[in-house]
Amino acid sequence: MNGVAPSTAKPLSLRGLAKQYATADGRVIEALLPIDLDIAPGEFLLVVGPSGCGKSTLLNILAGLTPPSAGEARVGDVLVAGPDIDRGMVFQDYALFPWLNVIGNVEFGLERKGVPRRERREIAMRYLDMVGLADFAEKRPRELSGGMKQRVAIARTFATEPSIIFMDEPFGALDALTRRYLQHELLRIWQQHRKTVVFITHSVTEAIYLADRIVLMTSRPGRIKTLIPIELPHPRDPTSDEFRVIERQVYADLDEELAKSFRMEGRDFGRG
Amino acid sequence: MTSVSVPAGAKPSGPAVRLLRSAAKLLPYLYAAIGVVTVWWAVVLIAKPHMSLLPSPLLTAQTFIQLVASGELPRDAAYSVCRVLAAWSLAALVAVPLGFAMGRWRRLESVLDPVVELFRPISPLAWIPLAILWFGIDEGGKIFVIFIGTFFPILLNTIAGAKSIDPVLIRAGRILGCADDASLFRKVVLPASLPDVIVGLRISFGTGWAAIIAAELVAARSGLGYLISNGMEVLRSDFVLVGMVTIGVIGVLFDAVFRWVDRRCNWIDE
Repeated sequence: MNGVAPSTAKPLSLRGLAKQYATADGRVIEALLPIDLDIAPGEFLLVVGPSGCGKSTLLNILAGLTPPSAGEARVGDVLVAGPDIDRGMVFQDYALFPWLNVIGNVEFGLERKGVPRRERREIAMRYLDMVGLADFAEKRPRELSGGMKQRVAIARTFATEPSIIFMDEPFGALDALTRRYLQHELLRIWQQHRKTVVFITHSVTEAIYLADRIVLMTSRPGRIKTLIPIELPHPRDPTSDEFRVIERQVYADLDEELAKSFRMEGRDFGRG
Repeated sequence: MTSVSVPAGAKPSGPAVRLLRSAAKLLPYLYAAIGVVTVWWAVVLIAKPHMSLLPSPLLTAQTFIQLVASGELPRDAAYSVCRVLAAWSLAALVAVPLGFAMGRWRRLESVLDPVVELFRPISPLAWIPLAILWFGIDEGGKIFVIFIGTFFPILLNTIAGAKSIDPVLIRAGRILGCADDASLFRKVVLPASLPDVIVGLRISFGTGWAAIIAAELVAARSGLGYLISNGMEVLRSDFVLVGMVTIGVIGVLFDAVFRWVDRRCNWIDE
C-alpha cells in the first residue's frame, strides 16, 4: 500500500466526561461517571468492561452521536459537538447501505467530502484492494459474508482518512476464525496508517492482542477501573507465557466487576 | 448425458434467452384467459341466454373490434387512465412528503395519526355522493374520489418505510458526512425507504383504478365506467363485457410496469 499519504493521527482528550439518563418515571440513571483520559495520537486503545457498563455510550459520545451530560471531549483542539467525517466509526452490524454496491459504500464518505467522481473511484478501489476485496467492488452487500461486510466497512472508514477511528465491537458478530483473521488484518492496516483507534470489545484476548493500552471499565455506572499498557511486541502470540500473564491479570480485575454487575441485576430482578 | 454442462450458479443470458423467458412468464395468463373464455362459451352454448344478458365471446370480440375502430374504446380508456394518473400523481405529491414527515417526526405522527385513522376506513366510493354535490359530474369530482382512494395507501406505506429504517444506517450516514437533515434525507432516508414507497404507489394505483370505474358508473359522460353503465341502459351487455375486459387488461399492464420499476429500484432480498 504505497502511495497513501498518511493523514496525521490526532490525540483525544476526555475531561470530566459523564452521562446520565432520565427514565420515564423521573429516576436518574448514571450511565457514565466523570471520566478523564488522554489518548495519544496513533494509539490503539481498547475499552473492555462488563455489558451495560456504558462502553457503547462512551463511544457514541466520542463520535458525537450522543451529547454528554457533563464534561467534554476534544480531538486535537476541536471540541466534539456532533458527528464529523474526520472521526470514523465501524459498527458491530456493519451498517453498510444495502441500496449501494460495495464500491458505492466505500465512496459514500468521499462523495460527502466533495472528492471528484474519478478520484473517488480510484481511492475507493485502493482501499478495497487494501482489505482484499477489489474483485467484489460491484457486488451488493447482501451477497457478502459477515467478515467481508466488515472488511468493506473498514475500507469505507479508512477511505475518508479520518484522524481517529472508533470501533464498536466490530468483530463481535463474527465466527472465531474470521475474527482472528480480521484482527490480524486490522493490525496490519493500522500499522500502515497509524490512526488513533478506540476499540470496544468483550474479548480479553482480542484486547491484549490488539491494544497499546487497555481501559478496563467498572460495571454500571461506568468509570475507569484500571489502565493497562500492553508492551508486548507485535505480532503477539496468545499462547505465549507473557500473553497469559497479562490475560490472568485482566480477568482477575474483570471478574470482580462481573460479580458486581450480576449482583446488581439480581437486585433489579428482585425489585421488578 | 451431460454433454452440455452449465456451471453451477451461472445463468444463461443473451437477448433471445431473455425474450423467451419473459414470454414464458406470460403463459399462465394465457392459460387463465383460455379457461375463462371456454367456461363462458360453454355457458352460452348450454343455457342459451338472450343476447342482451350474455353475448357469446365471438360477438363480444366483434364488438371490441368495432369499438376500437370507431375510436370509442380508446377514447374512454384514455379518459379513465388520465383521470387516475392525474389524481394518483397529485396524491403522491402530497402523501409522500407527508409520509416522510410523519415517519421521521414522532410528534407530528402522534397529532396526525388519529385523523388518518378516522378517514382511512371510509371507502373512496362513500365519497362519490359528496364529490357529485361539490364538483358536479365534471373532472374535479372524479379526481377528488381517486385522490381520496390513492392517498392513504401511499401515505401509510411511506410512513412505514420511513419508520422502519435501521437506526444504525442513520448513524452511519451522520458519521460519514451527512451533517444536516437535508443531506441525511437525500443520501440515507430516501433510498432506504424507497422500496416501501414504491409498494404504496403500486397498491394505490390498483385501488385508484378500481375506484375510477365506480365513480364513472355513477357520474360521467366518458370513461370505461361510463361505457359499462351506458351498455347496461341500452341493454348492450357486449358493451359491458368489452368494458370489463379492457379494465382487466389495463390493470394488469399497469401492475406489470410497477413490478418492473420495483425490481429496478428495490434492494431488498428476494
